[in-house]
Formats: sequence, structure tokens, C-alpha cells
Amino acid sequence: MAILEARGVSKSYTIGNRRIAVLDEVSLNVPDGEFLVIQGESGSGKSTLLSVLSGLDSIDQGAVLIEGREITNLPEDELAPLRNVFMGFVFQSFNLVPALTALENVMFPAELRGDQQARDKAEKLLARVGLAERAANFLHQLSGGEKQRCAICRALVNDPRIVFADEPTGNLDSVNGQAVLELLRQLHRERQTTLVLVTHSREIAGTADRVVTLRDGRIGVDNTYV
Amino acid sequence: MFNPRLIRRQILGSRHQSIVFVLCVLLSMLTLVSLSGFSRSVRSSSLRDARELHAADIIIHSHTPFSSGLLAELSDLKQKKVIDSARITIFYSVVRAETQEVSLLAELKVVEATYPFYGKVELVSGRSFREVLTPGSLVVEQTLLDRLNLRPGDKLKIGNALLTIRDVVLLEPDRPVNIFALGPRVFISEVDLAALDLIGKGSRVDYRILVKVADERELERIAGLLDNAALPDRERVETYRTAGSGIKRFLDNFLFFLNLIGIFTLVLAGLGIESSLTAFLAEQERTIGIMKAVGAGSRFIISHYYAVVSVLGLFGTLVGIGASFLLQGLLPNLFHGLLPATVQLAISWSAVVEGLLLGLLVVTIFTFLPLYRLKEVKPRAIFGKEEPKRLPSRATWIFAILIAVFFVSLVLLRIGEVKIGAYFILGVGLLILVAWLSATGVLWALKKLRPANLVLRQALKGLFRPRNATLWIVVTLIAALVVIFSITLVEQNLEETFVRSYPADSPNIFFIDIQPGQKEAFAKELGIAAIYYPVVRGLITAVNGVTINREQEHRKRGDNLGREFSLTYRRQLLDDERLVTGQGLFRDDWSGPQVSVLDTVLSMAKMQVGDTIAFRIQGIPVEARISSIRTRSRASLQPFFYFVFTEEVLKDAPQTVFTALRVEKERTAALQNRIVARFPNISVIDVTATVAVFSRIMERLSLIVRFFALFSVAAGILIIVSSVFATRHTRIQEAVFFKILGARRRFVFAVFAVENLVLGLTSSLIALLLSQIISYIICRTELDLGYRAFPGISLLMVLAMTAMVIAVGLGASVSILRERPAVFLRQQSEEG
Repeated sequence: MAILEARGVSKSYTIGNRRIAVLDEVSLNVPDGEFLVIQGESGSGKSTLLSVLSGLDSIDQGAVLIEGREITNLPEDELAPLRNVFMGFVFQSFNLVPALTALENVMFPAELRGDQQARDKAEKLLARVGLAERAANFLHQLSGGEKQRCAICRALVNDPRIVFADEPTGNLDSVNGQAVLELLRQLHRERQTTLVLVTHSREIAGTADRVVTLRDGRIGVDNTYV
Repeated sequence: MFNPRLIRRQILGSRHQSIVFVLCVLLSMLTLVSLSGFSRSVRSSSLRDARELHAADIIIHSHTPFSSGLLAELSDLKQKKVIDSARITIFYSVVRAETQEVSLLAELKVVEATYPFYGKVELVSGRSFREVLTPGSLVVEQTLLDRLNLRPGDKLKIGNALLTIRDVVLLEPDRPVNIFALGPRVFISEVDLAALDLIGKGSRVDYRILVKVADERELERIAGLLDNAALPDRERVETYRTAGSGIKRFLDNFLFFLNLIGIFTLVLAGLGIESSLTAFLAEQERTIGIMKAVGAGSRFIISHYYAVVSVLGLFGTLVGIGASFLLQGLLPNLFHGLLPATVQLAISWSAVVEGLLLGLLVVTIFTFLPLYRLKEVKPRAIFGKEEPKRLPSRATWIFAILIAVFFVSLVLLRIGEVKIGAYFILGVGLLILVAWLSATGVLWALKKLRPANLVLRQALKGLFRPRNATLWIVVTLIAALVVIFSITLVEQNLEETFVRSYPADSPNIFFIDIQPGQKEAFAKELGIAAIYYPVVRGLITAVNGVTINREQEHRKRGDNLGREFSLTYRRQLLDDERLVTGQGLFRDDWSGPQVSVLDTVLSMAKMQVGDTIAFRIQGIPVEARISSIRTRSRASLQPFFYFVFTEEVLKDAPQTVFTALRVEKERTAALQNRIVARFPNISVIDVTATVAVFSRIMERLSLIVRFFALFSVAAGILIIVSSVFATRHTRIQEAVFFKILGARRRFVFAVFAVENLVLGLTSSLIALLLSQIISYIICRTELDLGYRAFPGISLLMVLAMTAMVIAVGLGASVSILRERPAVFLRQQSEEG
């Protein structure tokens, strides 16, 4: 059974008076443990696809299933705990909470779950990514690469089944970008977490188990590698 | 899972909005709690000092000499040594210096040697009042000495007596405030009363007997005995516990009005709470989106931010209570001259509890909607996606109903009168509705404008920047400014009508207490044609057979049927009267007593032609049929009477006569001296001087009202500040982009300044228009005055308020103007 499935998903946005179709009947199956890259040019709809697959955004048509359970019409208060336990997120803009330290950011999803080991887990993860000494720092005291590593730790603290990464290296220089990517791959291998990563970089796509290319809101190519 | 550190950091991270929120909470309770504490202090001082305030245990009042039955009962009780008593006689009369041709209207208080039973008459010399006020002596107020250029030791002619001034009074226990007196106080010994020869039949005199009981436990029993002996409707017996005092009634009424303003401020400040919290939460939207993205549910989010709000609200409440006590400390200065010197301000714990409850309620109600709306924040907020605007949800309606219920409950609880409360609620609701409609219309029109000038164009666009609470700023400012502008315009019109340009045809000098037998001689001495008005004092006992409940009537605000009236008789209408109903002043085809009623009386009780009114006139019951209803055709200071009888009803009743004249200012003093020298019992009132006294009082009262109304303007100011901070990021962005594209700092400054100028002008001009309309209605329909728009003062008010809005808006934007493009752009790229 696919861990993540999209069936005929369509999504559009209204800007002013215009309705812009971003996804057009996209169907996709993601097996458990796969490293999937969703690739496409800017404006192809890849970030939108990621956000609807993860339940962060709604769809106009179709269905999204997680482990066979349809999440399309679930109310937000049911989606939230699902995201907390099942998913992790890594964003291009990091999207960490400015008022929390690095450690507190990582602990947050675990604390939401009532995990008594939240601090321990967070400290271990930060140490794993080389941020043990930055645990007490606030975001404005961290570099871009450090922020993204912190975000990766946060994504993994609850041992999610799926990690969604939206252009995780988009705001990083090439050195940091490589380091972050390598970290993601390592963690994916160690934990057998399904990793769905959005990028426009062919180079990054080349390291995935499978690449899905989006063009104008539709899946153009679906290959095991590029 | 509350995270106190996160709460603290979020508050500090959005400290501008947090401060505005706290200030709005503070403002919402400041005036009400301070007034509440102040009222309690005044009331408890009055109760504590009630004996001193009345100088006795029992006070008996009458406007006619006491009846033999009452005097007999008093004598009996005195013989049994159960009580002691002192007679007091108070009336106005003109006093003259012995050697100079100067005279002055003074309030005479003739007292027996045992006065006062409680409290002390304090004299400048420090000597005992009882030792100083011997027969032939006077104790006077300093004002009299100043105005007549006299000093202790000089003599004063009062009526037919020549008495010596012995000392100067500083404090009088049963007259704690003298701001309302028409003339300075003169104390005279009871032994000299007969020698004065000033009191005739029908003279306007306040007769009192003060009683001290030997045993406090007998107070009610003795008061009951005296009440039984007193003539009903003529002689009133009260204990120090039940007796009202004029100053207390005045303060109760005035504080009542100030409470209304306090409630109005609370509502506006509540809107500020809602606005600042909305802005605070808008700054947190991305954080909330992130929290939801990683799995926080709405309940967690709402609980967390409710905790934030509770911390801020509690802090605001505590600071508000502290500030209320500080303000309460300032109130005596504000009320200087209107308050008894013996009032002691105390921190009342009930006021503290009330403040805490009020703060809690205000915060809970006005934060309900912004917190509830957190449910609508979706995780996609992290992508900066704005939610589409929706129609008002059920929550919005619940919020509106909650506010309405809270407001109505608060008004009814604080005011205690359903009818006035309902009028107030309707008035405020209508004001806010009209302000909202007019603001919406004007802003819609402004949005359509495309001025050629770049600064103006950018400034107008800035008004409609996302999250700019322009509409609510304008509505709040309009509502607050309408109150202040209206008070000012009404006051100016009153001043204009009665003080600055005294009506040319209005009398400026009144001669009262002319005895009927003196009328001819007086007219001859006067040498000026005049209309003479006979005056007979009487009470109303019933209307259409329904007995008047005097206690209930006295409790009404405004005029009432429970008081004593000045009745008169004549055959025709006065020049400034006309008939509203009735074929003539009186009906020839009716027999029996008839009375014509002034339409003002209809506001006290429903009456119409043909109804009957029962009077008690000098102890004699008279039932008269209403023959007509009159009105005054224009506002003036000509004498007018509520009740005019046919001649045969009253011509033989004990009465005095008065007349009112217009005399050139230079001649009034000489005329007064001449009349008083010949007729010492006649009181002469220089109305222009009296009007000046009331003008001073009016000025003081409107200053106090404006002071409290300014707090409601502060609510509007806080919303401006909140809005500036809410749009801070966008403003910085604009400022940076302007600079990147080549604009100088002064261009950016000009854009912000013009934006605030438009905001201030819009609010002030709409407020001015509304207040002109309201003031016109008040002056024309309630006060019966002519109306002037006072363009100069109006312009000044508009300019002052606009300048204030500009100053506040720019003050809050100073840091934005300093922001450097490179710093901003780097931050933007780091945040992605």
C-alpha cells in the first residue's frame, strides 16, 4: 500500500478576477520509504502539490490519502494531530518560530504530543546535526544553514513516517545546501522515512529514488531517475 | 501545555502592540473606577460627617413661620430636657456700608446662640463663634469686606439695623460649598432679627429649626413626634441620616453625567482592545501557521493566546486600578470649590474589586472575536497566503451581541434609571452608527480619488494599506470628538446668549420681596415704568385627584412637582407668551378657580386643558381647573411663571411683589442704593453679576466634562498607534522602496504626514458637522436658545485635533523613517 496517494487532484487560486489552475488532475502514488523528488520549473505547481499532499492546503477536486485514509475533507482540528505525528516539514524559508530557541523549536512538535522525552530527543537530534552548542540560540543568532538543520531536526523529532521538504536548499549557498541535502539523505536512509522533496534542481533530483516532473500543473514525466 | 517563556517572548517581541493593548485596558476602566472611588469617598464623607453637614440631629424646614403645634411640641420636648434646639432664618437682603453709598446682595443667616450643635464655624481670629456673635455683632465672609471695602470693626446697615462687623468666617459646617451662593454670607444673632424688620408676609425665607437629641437612641422617636406635629406639605422634618443636601444632590447628578462619559470611553477603549489584539495576532500569523503546520490544534492555539491576553489584561487591569487611584487623587483639584473641604479621599476596596471585575469582563468580551478567529488561520499562512474575506460569521454576531449585552448591563447598573439608560444607549448606538456610515462614505470617496500630486496619491493609498484600521480609527475619533465639540459649542452658545451678549431686551435687575403695601411708594421712588408680578408660594398636592408623592418627585432628575412653586395671577398673556391650547388664558364660561399652565410643566406630568390640579397655598387647599397651556415664544430672561391663576383666587393671599427692569449698567448701583435705603426689606439682584457667577460655574463644570471626554479621544489615539505598528512592516517596505527608487527622506516623511493629515481632517470635519447638528438641536429644542456656529472656534478645534493626529501618527512612524534600505533588504533575504 502506498503511504501517500493523490487521485485526480486539482487546485486553483483566484487572484483578483482571474482563476488560475495550479494543479490539473494530478495522480501520484508514493510507496513507503521512498525518496521522491517533485521537480519542475518555477510556477509549475510543485510547491502547491507538496502543500496539498501534506494537508497544508485544500484541493478543489480529487482525493489525497495517507496510508489509505482519505484526508481531503478532514477538518483542520483532525488534520493537525495527523501532521504532528505522521509528518515532518522542511521549508525553503525555514519557518521556525522566532520567539523560540533552536532547542525549543525542535522540541515543540514533541511537546504538543505530550512526549515526556521531548527535550532528550531534541538535544540528540541537534547534536546529530552538529548544533549541540547552538541549542540555546535564537534564530537571529543562527546562520541560514544552521536554521535549516534546526528545521530538519524539528521535522524528525516525532519520528514521522513522511518528511516533506520544499526547496530546502533554496535559501542556502552551495556548500550549506549540499550539507543539508546530504543530511536529509542520511536521515532518510537511517530512519527509512519517506522523503518527498520539491526542487527545481536537476542535480538534487538525480539523487532521488524517483523523480516526478510537473509541467503546467500536470505530471509530465515520472521516472525512477533522471 | 503553557509555555510561560514563549508567552513572555511573544509579548516582548510585539511590545508595541502589547503596550497599546495594556493602555486600552487601562483606559477602559480608568474613568469609571476613579469616579466610582471618588463617589464612594464623597458619599462616605457625607455620611460620616452628616451631623456636621446639617449641624444637628434633626432638621426642620419651612418656607413659612412655624406652626404653633410644632412649636408647642418642641417646647414640650425641651422642657423634658430630651432635646435642645436652635432657630435659623436664612434669606437674601441687600446690605449697605454705613458711610458709603455702596450696597451688596448678601445671604443673611440669623442664628440662635446654640448654633451649631455639631461642627464648628471657623473664624479668621480663631475665637469661638458663640463668643463673637453677640447681639449687635456680625460675622461676615471676606468677599463682603472686599467688595464693600470694609474691615472688622466697621458697621453694616441691614434693614433698619446698624450692626458691627466683628469677625470673618472661614468655614461653615452646614454650608460646605459656597460656589452657588448669590451673595456673601452674613451671620446675625437671632436677638437682632426683629430689629432688622426685613421679613414680611410672603417674603422668601428659609426657616429652620435645628434639634439636638440628648440620647441618640431616641432620635427616630423624637423625629416621629415632631413629624406628627408638623404641618404636612409645609413643614418637613428630617434626621441627619435622611436629609439630603443640595451639594450632595448636585454632586450625585454631576457624577452621574460623568459616569455616562466614563461608559462611553469604556466602549471606545474596548474597540481599541479588539483592534490592538487583532494587530498583535496578525503579527503572530506566521507563527500560528507554523504551529498548526507542525500539529497544534485550534484549541491549543486559542488557549495559548488567551494566556497571552490574560497576562496583558491582568497587567493592564492592575495598572488601571493604580492609575484610577492616581486620577482620584487629582479629582479634588478638578472639583475645587464644588467639594466640601471635609471630603477625605480613601482607597475603597470595593472600588478595587469592581475594577478587577470590570477589567476581567472588558478583556474577555473584547478579545473574544480576535481569539475565536484564530480558528480561521490556516497552516498555509506560512506561505503568506491571505484568506479570502468572508461574510460575518456566527462568531461575529455572538461578539456583537455580547458587547451589546455588556454595554446595556453596565449602563443600567451604573445609572440605575431605565429610561435615561435607554436614551443613553440609543444615543451612543446612533452616534457610532452615523459615524460609521459617514466614515465609510468619505473613505469610499477618498479611495476613488486619483490626485496628480504624488505625495497626496501615495498618502491616500497608504490609508488603505492592508491591516490599516483606517475605518475604525476614523469612527472612534469621530465619536469621541463629537462629544468634546458638542460640549464646547453648547457652552459657547450659553455664554454668548447669557454672558457675553446679554439679551438687549432682558431685564438685568430684579427687585424682590416688595410688600403689597409698598408697591405704590416703590413705583414712585423707582420712577421707571415696570410690570409688577405678585408672587404667592404654594405646593401641588394632586393632579386629577392623584396625590403627588413628594419623595418620589424629589428623586427625579430635573424639575419636579414636589417642590414649592411661585404662583401668580393676572388677566392676560405676557408679551413673550402665546397659547398652545385653550381659547384664551382663562374661560369666561367656567366657574371656580382656573389656572393656566406653562408647557414646561407637561414634562413633569401629563396634563391637558380641563384637568384639575390641587394646590395648598399658604395652608389653604385650592383646586383649580386647567384653562389653557402657554408657551414662551422666545428664550429670554423675562420672568415667567409655571402657574398663572385668575385674580380672584390669589389676590387676598399673603404675597410679595417683584419686578424686573432693564437699567443701564452705570445706573444700577445708584438705583440699588436708593431703593434699599428707602425700602430695606427689598432685595435687589443684579442679574448680570449673578450670571457671571453661573458662568464661572458653567466654565468649571464644562472643563471637568471635557477633561473626562478627552479620555475617549485617547482611545482613538491608541487605535492610531496600534494601526501604525500593525502596518509597520508594510510601511518600512514602502519607505525602503521609495528610497531605493530615489526618493529623499523628506518625501517619505511628507507621505506619512499627509496620510495622517487626511485621517485627522476627515475625522475632525465629520465630527464637527455632527456636533454642529447635535448642538443646534440641544440649543434650539432643549435650551430654547438661538444658535451660532462659531466658525472660528470650530476651525480651531478641527486644526487642534488634526495636529494631534499628525503628531501621534508621525511619532509612531519615526523609527520607520530611520530604517535603512540595506538592512531591511538583508533581513528580507534571510527570512526568504
